[in-house]
Amino acid sequence: MKTRFWIFFAAIGTLSAQQVVAPTPENIGSPRGDNHGDYNYTNTFEFGYRWSLVGGDEGQYRSTVNFHNGPRLLGSSLSIDSKDGHGHYFDQILLNTMGLGNDPYQFANLRVQKNQLYRYDMTWRLNDYYNPGLTVAGGLHFMDTVRRWQDHEVTLFPQSKYRLRAGYSRNVQDGPALTTLLEPDNNVALSTALPVFVNLRREWDEYRIGGDVDVSGFKFTVLRRWDFYKEDSPYRFLPGSSAAAIGLQDDLTSLQSFVKAAPVHGSDGGWLGNLMTNRKRWSVNARMSYLMGRNNFTMNEISSGFGRLGAAANRQILVQGDAERPVVTGDLNLSAQPSSRLTVVNNTSYNSQRISGPSSYTEILNGGDSGTTINFRYLGVRLVTNSTDANYRVKDWIGFYAGYHYTYRLVRTIEGFQLAGVPNSSDTALYENTNSLHSGTAGIRIRPMKNLTANIEAEIGRANNPLTPVSDRNYHAINGLIGYRVRKLQLSTSYKQLYNVNAPAGFSSYSSHSRNYSANASLALKNWWSLDASYMKLHLDTAGGIAFFAGGVRPTLQSGVSIYVSNIHAGNLGARFAITKRVDLYTGYTITKDTGDGRSTAAAGATDPTAALFAGVQTFPLTYQSPLARVSIRIYPKLRWNVGWQYYDYHQQFNIFGYYQNFHAQTGYTSVSWAF
Amino acid sequence: MRILLLLLVSLAAAAQNQAVPSATGTGFVGSNVCKTCHADVWMNFYKNPHFKSIASGKEPPDKTGCEGCHGPAQKHVAAGGGKQTIPRAFSLMQPKQALETCLGCHARDLSKANIQRSEHTQNDIACNTCHSIHHSATPKYLLAKKQSELCYTCHATVFAQFSMPSKHRVNEGVVQCTDCHNPHGSFEATWRMAQHPRMVERALNAESPCVKCHTDKRGPFVFEHPPVRVEGCEICHFPHGSTNAKLLRRPVVFTICLECHNGADSFGTRNNGVPIQSSRHNMLDPKFQKCTTCHVAIHGSYSDAFFLR
Repeated sequence: MKTRFWIFFAAIGTLSAQQVVAPTPENIGSPRGDNHGDYNYTNTFEFGYRWSLVGGDEGQYRSTVNFHNGPRLLGSSLSIDSKDGHGHYFDQILLNTMGLGNDPYQFANLRVQKNQLYRYDMTWRLNDYYNPGLTVAGGLHFMDTVRRWQDHEVTLFPQSKYRLRAGYSRNVQDGPALTTLLEPDNNVALSTALPVFVNLRREWDEYRIGGDVDVSGFKFTVLRRWDFYKEDSPYRFLPGSSAAAIGLQDDLTSLQSFVKAAPVHGSDGGWLGNLMTNRKRWSVNARMSYLMGRNNFTMNEISSGFGRLGAAANRQILVQGDAERPVVTGDLNLSAQPSSRLTVVNNTSYNSQRISGPSSYTEILNGGDSGTTINFRYLGVRLVTNSTDANYRVKDWIGFYAGYHYTYRLVRTIEGFQLAGVPNSSDTALYENTNSLHSGTAGIRIRPMKNLTANIEAEIGRANNPLTPVSDRNYHAINGLIGYRVRKLQLSTSYKQLYNVNAPAGFSSYSSHSRNYSANASLALKNWWSLDASYMKLHLDTAGGIAFFAGGVRPTLQSGVSIYVSNIHAGNLGARFAITKRVDLYTGYTITKDTGDGRSTAAAGATDPTAALFAGVQTFPLTYQSPLARVSIRIYPKLRWNVGWQYYDYHQQFNIFGYYQNFHAQTGYTSVSWAF
Repeated sequence: MRILLLLLVSLAAAAQNQAVPSATGTGFVGSNVCKTCHADVWMNFYKNPHFKSIASGKEPPDKTGCEGCHGPAQKHVAAGGGKQTIPRAFSLMQPKQALETCLGCHARDLSKANIQRSEHTQNDIACNTCHSIHHSATPKYLLAKKQSELCYTCHATVFAQFSMPSKHRVNEGVVQCTDCHNPHGSFEATWRMAQHPRMVERALNAESPCVKCHTDKRGPFVFEHPPVRVEGCEICHFPHGSTNAKLLRRPVVFTICLECHNGADSFGTRNNGVPIQSSRHNMLDPKFQKCTTCHVAIHGSYSDAFFLR
């Protein structure tokens, strides 16, 4: 009975985040597994067919949901454990998978270990990523790429005082995409960005080796790593690339041929050393790392076609060079516990990264060689942070903590160039920007009764010279959380606000106010049903000074305030019913609704074209909702049949991109879960 | 190669030949006594990572089996049970006590170097708040629930963000909270002036966690976009989720650009304002309202100071 309770209790937890209808979370088979020889086996496999029927903007559906028709292994789990901890080759195998075969989101996780001798962990993931690129380039930066990750980690003698580690990680992104290139005109500002095909090919590989030694309570760790990055995406001519095709009717720019190769090969090497000890009253952790990055690049781009006035034009651009980035970090963490109620921690961190490199740029426009410019850039960011935090428990039911943090940052840039073959043509300029931040935190935690907790904390910060107008300068944050948790009922509510004012002078003033609220309830009074409900409100309003050029005939400098208001109401409701001993029903509903600032039209009555342009993007009301239902029927103790339905509806209220992205989609699945 | 093999064999021998410790504590009865009453816990305990200490047979009684965590059980046995007689009954312990008990063995993990100053510890979120040793939902890390659900329990507004149209696929299961965060506390972030949030884990010990996956944004570039390096990706993006495409902070891109590029005051690397746009950019011309149509390499470029290539 107790075990059943805990299994059911775990199932309640699944409600709180249930948003994707499949895979089916209901367990199958005996949770204790089956014994075979010296091992115990537990397994579940769910194989099924997922379907979707999409109406409206399919590009937005693929960017938001992206489930397609087809069969797949929706989920699986396998565990094999040796019963005495002395297996011949292994003591444990854990394998979990999700979506293998056809889902846009696939995952596999494997652990194999033998006590005292080795431990191997593997993670493999796939994300079939689609992005229509609507916001940034009116759809021209379309991407339909797939990203695959894998991580492997082997630890030898994991329970010993001497441990060896080796690892390998790989990250590959490939697939078709569109990008844009400014094409041909002798005035870049008047050139037109035309789309070209690119077949993305990016690879990143990392190799690691290291070890740990424990001596007299001190642990020393060293890790050496090498990683390699390669990008050699081929760019191709897109037939019909013309200004007219992208909606610029008075511009005659068009491409007739285009070839571009821009390979980048990078190699990084680095090491990490860590020394730590943890004693009864104090502990120390000291860490240093060095990471070197280098990218070698070249680019050859040849295009021909017609300029904006219809004249034949051609251009070749040649670029080559390399960039370096050594990064040094150091951290020292000192903890003291003078009494069982007090902990004081001081941390000092240092980080220095220096990015530099030359890049030579040659342009030949309509047969005329514009010469070669050798650019040199340096960006150095040095940061020193010191923080002290104290945590004191006054009584068992009340405690306080407070901290003071100081950070100093230096940003140094060097901008230089030289015209190849031109005497005395070089120039170099050096700039420095420094910023100091003082911030303080304080918090109180109260446990007035056993299952009731309340935490309130506040932070205030002052920076004297932030890098950008939207950076934090004078900010404060307040955070509160109250929770009541017993086995059958969980209630919580939270509030968080973050105010930042960055207003050194005049029109550039910037302010940002965010206030987040949440309320949650999970209820399972009976063991045949449970309910989970949550409501969240996320408010954000910002106002920032802007300056820009606009005008009907000749653009003039104008200034104003860019306002953005977002009021997002989000809700989640889930209910699980065990209708009979064999049938489980789950129903859920999730909604995200941004009501914006309450206006009914995008431009809010603004008639001046410039005012209307900015008024129209001050808020972006939309509704995204998704009801779902799922039935899971136990046919045999080791066999279940599942069927589910999920509906997606995306509706944006204003047509701020020139078109609506609204879609609605019926999706569903049917599957069989079984255990051997 | 021979030297490497010799080293491996030597280390293996050293690892296997540790002396069997003697029972130094008093009041220890051994796990075999515990299982007579707690058979339900014991039956599946061989699947628990903590079973390694029992299987080893070499650990001292205060570091193995039930009593390794719960303390010597003699009084508990003599009393015929009862939580009050368990020296370390986690459901009765203060969070700090629970933390220190677990750190007795787990303090040497690199990932827990900052646990004493982590926001979780400050707010009494101890190990057994998230980990369930005997009733875990995930056998690998003994989490009480699946990871995202566990985090959402307290971070409800983050759940709302991951349920938005544009988001990292956490609810879908392909991305996890710990891909970017270290729930045990992290060193100071070295971007954004080491400000909040503090539990973001550095990638490769030095960089923003975003570049672990978005390797093409990592550079180094000759022409860096300084706020990307100095302030981090959050300067333009909401990392969890957004109602705007590409996790952007605004529904259209030009307002993001213009709010920084206003030429005002002492901002920017040159301390004379972030450069204002060119006078040839007429914002009423739709061509200039989508900045990254032309400034395609906005995260950094190898060839162009204005990120045009």
